[in-house]
Amino acid sequence: MGRRSVGHVDDLRWYPRSWRATYGDDLVMYLRDRYGDGPLPVSARLSIRRSGTVERLRCGGIIGNSVDPDMRVRGASLLVLCAWGMFIVAGAAFAKYTEHWPLATPSVDHRLPAVAMGAVQAAGLTGALVLVTAGLVVLPALVQLVRSDGWRPLWIVTRPMVVAVTVAGVAGVAIVVWSTHLGPSPSAPFATRVGGVIAGLVVVGAMVVCVGTVVALVYRLHLSHRVTRVLGILALAMAAALVVIFAGTLLWWISTAVHAPWFFGSLDPRSPGSPAPLAMIVLGLLMLSGLVVAGIGTVRIAATLDRPGAAPSPAPAT
Amino acid sequence: MVKNKRAVGLRRANDPPLLILTSLAGGPKHGYALAQDITGFTGVQLSPGALYGAIARLEERGLIEALPEVDRRRPYRITAAGSAELGEVMRDMRRVVDVGTHRLGLLQGRLA
Repeated sequence: MGRRSVGHVDDLRWYPRSWRATYGDDLVMYLRDRYGDGPLPVSARLSIRRSGTVERLRCGGIIGNSVDPDMRVRGASLLVLCAWGMFIVAGAAFAKYTEHWPLATPSVDHRLPAVAMGAVQAAGLTGALVLVTAGLVVLPALVQLVRSDGWRPLWIVTRPMVVAVTVAGVAGVAIVVWSTHLGPSPSAPFATRVGGVIAGLVVVGAMVVCVGTVVALVYRLHLSHRVTRVLGILALAMAAALVVIFAGTLLWWISTAVHAPWFFGSLDPRSPGSPAPLAMIVLGLLMLSGLVVAGIGTVRIAATLDRPGAAPSPAPAT
Repeated sequence: MVKNKRAVGLRRANDPPLLILTSLAGGPKHGYALAQDITGFTGVQLSPGALYGAIARLEERGLIEALPEVDRRRPYRITAAGSAELGEVMRDMRRVVDVGTHRLGLLQGRLA
């Protein structure tokens, strides 16, 4: 193959390895026949990227029914995990945003938002326990992977996560140290806010990398049919926790908007502010998106677990 | 059967799987020959992703099969199941075409 062919081969990296093993060479020859040695047009590149992404989702059991039921449960469980990641980001921001709500709310009106906040915290704790349990359930498979393949493949997969967490940690500490040395200058509040936003973005980026790493790692594990079913059930439990978190957040928002609308403004009871501040709208939309993702995963898990005779799946080569 | 047709993308006349099956009904072809043939009888130029995505789906469902490579290109041919599926879709479409043609003819007759 010439230099151009190598370029076409690079374009096919959007497809999963197993797909490339079957159709890769043929598609490369097709691209050479159709486009010659010239560069691929943008439309062809986009088509390949879209198609490759779809094949990856199919291969991972996230869409379609072309893989065996165990792989579908695994993919759907990982969808719920991704939703959990979205809730972690939204939940952390929500916790920071609402940390002083009891001070702004009259004591007689504490009950409902307190119940809502308690439900959010209990569901968050339940979700964390589910996640830890899922980690323990797949731990033997992880040990088996290390024993059979050694540490190197594991390190290649987890390296981006280690780098992202390190960068986020260092950046977080640097921003905190920097903000404490700002002093009482007029621009300090704005600079602190910018620093907070940057730190938030770094943490979100690290969270995305972490979830992506876990997803990639779980796809490499040899999971038995039984373990896969347990993971599916744990994912259903986690999805239920997400529903409670969302409902609790919504309840807290509504009750606070009714009983202490000034909380969303300047904390001055004489200036109520908007009952729908931008921060809460963004958090709500993020949670809602996570809920949709978790819902898709839940439906796929429920539909697959409901069918008897699911066969054990081989480890995919994605 | 309707669900099966939907799953593989055999609902509309310009669905890539239907175009591929129709093309392969005329004999085995590799990817580029398939695309050329489809452009010849429909004017549609399938994108690389759409073409090979449809090929993969059809082969997965046993409606087409790959033949041994020729000059590093894999020809595909329609299977018996693929012919049966295509025949059924063609009969469905034929009914729609017949009714449409008939009614259009009556309409033109009234207008004339």
